[in-house]
Amino acid sequence: MSSRRSRSRHAGSSRITDDQINDLVSKLQQLLPEMHNRRSDKKSATKVLQETCNYIRSLHREVDDLSERLSELLENADTTQADLIRSLIMQ
Amino acid sequence: MKNPNYPLKKRLASRFLKALEKIKYNMSPSPVSIEEKRRRHRAVRGAAYASMASSVGPRRAWSRALLRKMRERKRARRNPRNADTRFGLNQLCDVVPGGEAMDSRSLLNETAHYIECLVAQVQIMREILHSSSSSSSTTL
Repeated sequence: MSSRRSRSRHAGSSRITDDQINDLVSKLQQLLPEMHNRRSDKKSATKVLQETCNYIRSLHREVDDLSERLSELLENADTTQADLIRSLIMQ
Repeated sequence: MKNPNYPLKKRLASRFLKALEKIKYNMSPSPVSIEEKRRRHRAVRGAAYASMASSVGPRRAWSRALLRKMRERKRARRNPRNADTRFGLNQLCDVVPGGEAMDSRSLLNETAHYIECLVAQVQIMREILHSSSSSSSTTL
């Protein structure tokens, strides 16, 4: 694995091409939220990767915020949760 | 338990709820200090990422990186930083667990899967909050 990585610094067979990067990046674009992603627009790979980073950061912030709200919720909840698990898992 | 055919979201929900149950069980009764509230917040957030990592297991590099971090509780061994700066790829290293140790192809694949998992986790957390607030008695 490490030898493959060092080979990729030279023009080795495992080094990903610009085209392959663009391919994978366009797949990432599909995952971005609709608001910023008008699929008819062909965005530059750099732009998509930038937006991807921003999107992941916003998801991290959401997890953080929701964690805080859930931790407050735990304080006020009793421990019966069978119904909740059932409704979540049976979806 | 890591049957890959069992939908990710159900695995996530199951693990995350169990983790919440444990946190709840270990909670001291109110009133609590601000520090204790912060600790709970961190515990819930830790449980979110732990559920994601253990639901996916060792199948993805990003989840292996998170699992490693959870077990070792020290800085992951620094492999040579991904030096591919084309299209700003190296920025992804900052936001994807284990990104700095991945080659560019892996990094892009891992990023896609990581996003899907994050989205599922966020949905679950919202659903828990929503169903707790809409029921007449808050039960967890």
